[in-house]
Amino acid sequence: MEGVDPKNLSAQLAYRGVGNPPSSHPDTCISNAFPGLEMDFRNAWKRIFVGIEIHEASNYVVKVDDDVDDDVRVLANGYLLVSVDGEPVEVSVTGPQVPGGPIMPLPDTAFNDPKMPIERSNALANVIHQKAGKEVRCVFRLAPQPGGALPANEDDRIEVMLRVRPFFATGLDADGNPHKLAVINRDIAEPGQLSESLCSPWQNDYRECGCYYWAASRPDFVNVESRPDGTSTGHNWMQRDRTPTTPKVYIVDDRKDPRLVTYDELFEDWEGKLRFEISGRDAE
Amino acid sequence: MFIPLSEIGRAGRQGNPSPLTALTLSAQPRLPQVHLFDTELGPHILAVDGTRIYKVGSEVAALLARGLEARDSEQVNALLTRLGLDTAPYITDEPLAPPPVRALSLAIAQKCNLGCTYCYADGGSFGTLPKQMSLETALAAVDLLFKDAIRDERVNLTFLGGEPMSNRPVVRAATLHAHRRAQETGANLSLSITTNGTLLTPEDGDFFEEHGFAVTISLDGVGKSHDAQRPFKNGRGSYDRIIERVRPILAQQRKMQVSARVTVTPRNLDLPAVLEHFIELGFHSVGFSPMLSSPTGQGEMQGGDLAVMLDQMIAAGQEFERNVVAGRRYPFLNMVNAMREIHRGTHRPYPCGAGAGYMGVSAEGDLSACHRFVENEAGAMGSLATGVDLQRQGQWLAARHVHRQEPCRSCWARYMCGGGCHHEVIQRGRPACDYIRGWLHYCLQAYIRLAETRPEYFGYPAARA
Repeated sequence: MEGVDPKNLSAQLAYRGVGNPPSSHPDTCISNAFPGLEMDFRNAWKRIFVGIEIHEASNYVVKVDDDVDDDVRVLANGYLLVSVDGEPVEVSVTGPQVPGGPIMPLPDTAFNDPKMPIERSNALANVIHQKAGKEVRCVFRLAPQPGGALPANEDDRIEVMLRVRPFFATGLDADGNPHKLAVINRDIAEPGQLSESLCSPWQNDYRECGCYYWAASRPDFVNVESRPDGTSTGHNWMQRDRTPTTPKVYIVDDRKDPRLVTYDELFEDWEGKLRFEISGRDAE
Repeated sequence: MFIPLSEIGRAGRQGNPSPLTALTLSAQPRLPQVHLFDTELGPHILAVDGTRIYKVGSEVAALLARGLEARDSEQVNALLTRLGLDTAPYITDEPLAPPPVRALSLAIAQKCNLGCTYCYADGGSFGTLPKQMSLETALAAVDLLFKDAIRDERVNLTFLGGEPMSNRPVVRAATLHAHRRAQETGANLSLSITTNGTLLTPEDGDFFEEHGFAVTISLDGVGKSHDAQRPFKNGRGSYDRIIERVRPILAQQRKMQVSARVTVTPRNLDLPAVLEHFIELGFHSVGFSPMLSSPTGQGEMQGGDLAVMLDQMIAAGQEFERNVVAGRRYPFLNMVNAMREIHRGTHRPYPCGAGAGYMGVSAEGDLSACHRFVENEAGAMGSLATGVDLQRQGQWLAARHVHRQEPCRSCWARYMCGGGCHHEVIQRGRPACDYIRGWLHYCLQAYIRLAETRPEYFGYPAARA
């Protein structure tokens, strides 16, 4: 049958190509923005500043372009972005380490850095709205070393002016003036960049995450039976032994527990270990 | 059947319906989920939920036309599913939860120096004794408007009447108070006033310009045509006086925008000429609205009048299309708004914000669903002293949802129209559905044409030469 051609904005947003499954559409897909099954939205921010590339999940400068000046080139030697145009892009995270515990800094485990990046759609909203195509003052600091060794001089900060790449594509209005479109600018990502760093759910991420993350497609509690007192019993989906005669005791997730499947087992035989769940029960 | 635009407005050939009748027939409601419309660029459909517009091929169009003619909902739904156009509902039966009030219109003066034949406010005083809003009441209304407002939140204050300029000192004081509250809260204030124009002074122009007002002047035609509907209370014509007062203010427009609003009755149906004249005078925009309900019944449009109006609106719309194609600004407000909303796919379960985020305030400080429900129990919503009556507001939002309206529930235009002005519907019913559908059908066709020939108008890259 002939296809349809979406004309106005609401039709374009709702459009699904013929033959594509429902999950190919942003509001029904499993991507959850990151890491994502279809695209990793975080990658749209990696090239927001002309001349440098920042890591998708941290403010770490991953690389600089070949033709940058020396004051930008140095950023490739282990620097983190701190603020843009006076607005911070990181924040100190504090809280209790155990329920009811004292409020304290909560550093990340890799770098022991008590500051965390702020989600960029919010942190950079003003910058992409008001400073697209313009130069803005960017402040960087030397990152802690892996394992938590702090740099020799913590106050060693670098300020450079960097041009903001327009996040949105541009059209022209009736008077020929540029007009922002609701489309990501082509220059913001290299071909293939938006779909880098995707999940590999069966092998990795189903093991990595809880059911709260994969609500639609990753069961947690399977082969469930109700008991007369109103409670229920069943198996953890990650449990290696789930035969009909296996006692129904839920094993709390712990990757070192030998009763649960390992990453290696999933890489080798994910479909055999996990099996399909139909109506909440292991399919034969 | 597709009717070339050039044919609309001409009498039908013998034995055939006139093109206008044919357009009205094409716009008839068949099934609530989809509307099929033809254009020079081929058949298109409106998927009603979400106001989504798609071009379709002739095979799909023929299948759909058969399903629509047979009112075969099952067949049409199956077709939409095959095309991938079935979605979770955009609009459910759930009424809007009462939002904070962020738009208020103040009946700053419930009296007027004009005696318009059809006035919903019954000569300006809403059927009660003439009165002015006190400064205290106006300031309390402004405080309600900014209650819990946050930075960058949009807040609108409108002055209406009667004739608001007959209470100029309170208009000014309330404006300055709103300006202060906007600075304190960081909220984004817009100001508007609707006036008959007879009392305006150059100083008013300075004040409106300084505060960036959207000024609407009620004008029902040029010269005698206006005077017949909007005379002074003593019967004398008001047109010359208004133009004399408004002309210098039109020349002052920088930040402020001065627009003309034309109420259309059976006596002033020559719309394209009026539109052209007011655009030439320098109005920022010109809009038309049919008179559907007046307290006396005088001036109300009947079916035949509305058919003439539709013909006239389409003629004005065609002029808009010609100008946009030529790259010229042509501020025919009904068309500008229709093109913007259709392009976005605006879909709503209510016709406006009345009784939701928008309310009217009477001179004595009573709240109502909008400026038209002042002194009217049907739209009472509490008072400045006691606050918004949340129970009445909740009942209003539940009762006024377009899914609760008939015959709206079965009409393809329901999410573009919203069910029609609450005040007119409650007072008179829905006499203008054919007119509204005919106009929207034409606007959908015009959108397809303009998106093809002038994509820049909608912010798309220019068409290739």
